[in-house]
Amino acid sequence: MGVFENSEKFEAVLGGFFKLVANTPIVADKLLKSKLIIRFNYTDPDLILVIDCSGDAVDVRAGDTNTKATVEMKMKADIAHKFWFGKVNLTMALTRRQMVAKGPVPKILKLLPAIKPTYAMYPKYLDENGYEAYNIHS
Amino acid sequence: MLPEFYQFYHPTKMIFGEGLSCDFAHELEELNVKNYFLISDHVIQDLGLLNDIRHGLQQEGFTITGQFLDVPQDASLAAVKEVSRQASESGAQGLIAIGGGSVIDTAKAANFTFSEGGDLVEDYSGAGTLTRPLKPLIVIPTTAGTGSECTNVAVVYDVENKAKLAFADRFLLPDIAVLDPLMTRSLPPGLTASTGMDALTHAVESYIGIDSSPHSDALAGAAVKLIFNNIVRATESGDDLEARGAMLIAANLAGTAFSHSMVGCVHSMAHVVGAAFRVPHGIANAILLPHGLEYNFEECMDKIALLAPFMGVDISGLSVDKAAEKAVEAVRDLNKSLNRAGNIPIRLRDTGVTKDSLTALAEAAVEDGTSIYNPREVVAEEILVHLKNAY
Repeated sequence: MGVFENSEKFEAVLGGFFKLVANTPIVADKLLKSKLIIRFNYTDPDLILVIDCSGDAVDVRAGDTNTKATVEMKMKADIAHKFWFGKVNLTMALTRRQMVAKGPVPKILKLLPAIKPTYAMYPKYLDENGYEAYNIHS
Repeated sequence: MLPEFYQFYHPTKMIFGEGLSCDFAHELEELNVKNYFLISDHVIQDLGLLNDIRHGLQQEGFTITGQFLDVPQDASLAAVKEVSRQASESGAQGLIAIGGGSVIDTAKAANFTFSEGGDLVEDYSGAGTLTRPLKPLIVIPTTAGTGSECTNVAVVYDVENKAKLAFADRFLLPDIAVLDPLMTRSLPPGLTASTGMDALTHAVESYIGIDSSPHSDALAGAAVKLIFNNIVRATESGDDLEARGAMLIAANLAGTAFSHSMVGCVHSMAHVVGAAFRVPHGIANAILLPHGLEYNFEECMDKIALLAPFMGVDISGLSVDKAAEKAVEAVRDLNKSLNRAGNIPIRLRDTGVTKDSLTALAEAAVEDGTSIYNPREVVAEEILVHLKNAY
């Protein structure tokens, strides 16, 4: 069994974190500059999250299968969880097919320096929002 | 210190030998494919390099179902689609690419839809989109630089949308790479020097990069040694087949190394300089390599120092920092030698880059995807200092 019990819990944890990131100017401003729309297709448990950076603010939407995304990322929920701890090397994960990316991958790679601060934010967010059980550091 | 995790995957069969491009048909037996479509360009055709290859294959019972020679200088989406269409209609079951990086990337990208059908951009742009092997692809490089014959990536230019499309997949790796020094004999001195320096940059950046591994280090070190021993010879005398062969092998080793360990800020700078001022990639890398090493000096002088012996530098009795300085100096000296032998520029100002563009170039370099693999964080203000030095 994976880290998250079900899709609802996973959406609450990761969706909530994405919304926090969307409201953190040091990261959000750089995401908005990219104008990307990224759809994350998670499995085990299943969840679809869209990060839409095409407008004036970063918009996070769950279950959106209609919007045409610039990049589609597919991965297991556990890999996503590890990634936000800074524990997954994106290119290595792509090479190992732990993640599959459809679309302009270099544009995603360019975002990596911008999202670096989020690796420290994630464990703090888990602790502060009653999700301590998911914090691998605690 | 060993990396926490790394992997090494290299299924491409490499064969090396003088004249092998006309005598490799038996290597194809195991692929169980008889009909091949050729991809090349008019320069290679005009040099007469295709006839003997075609003849060699036909003599052994293989059929060339057709050929495509209109590959542009940068692999284009239109050319890729045309290759896929023509190859399919000709009844081919496999592809043979003969040329430089653009020809090889065209063939690699065309193999997606030639093998699997569908739409190239919609279905396959990205990383890891394939779930099974493609049809056989054989590549015969005619330059010694890009290493595209042994990388899992193809880059294609979408002229209409002015965008570069990247495809990365382990199934993109060619089945067989034929390294024949005779195929690079007619490469002019300037191109020999600049493509060779591209290979050197691949080797050096993969060696000092954050994703380097014992496997990639072994290949990169060997590539550096071969390049330092042979690039000037190959540039001065195109007929020196030993030097030509060594450069082909070096480019292949360096390509395999950076395909696993990536490249860093030299490529970040070279990419933006190339995009803004059309500076050929190898020349941009040659000019910027010593400056990239200086940018990273404090961060990884130990690894830079380890490169010195591969460059033929005697570091006995030297401290680590002095040995590393000697390595950077060796790259500068090599550039000077190639400037004399191949007339390649050694400063950015000699390539058409304008001084007032340097700030914008530094800012763009930070945004380049390669910057994340650099040993030291790529910061615009600091990169600008080194771009100014290179100017």
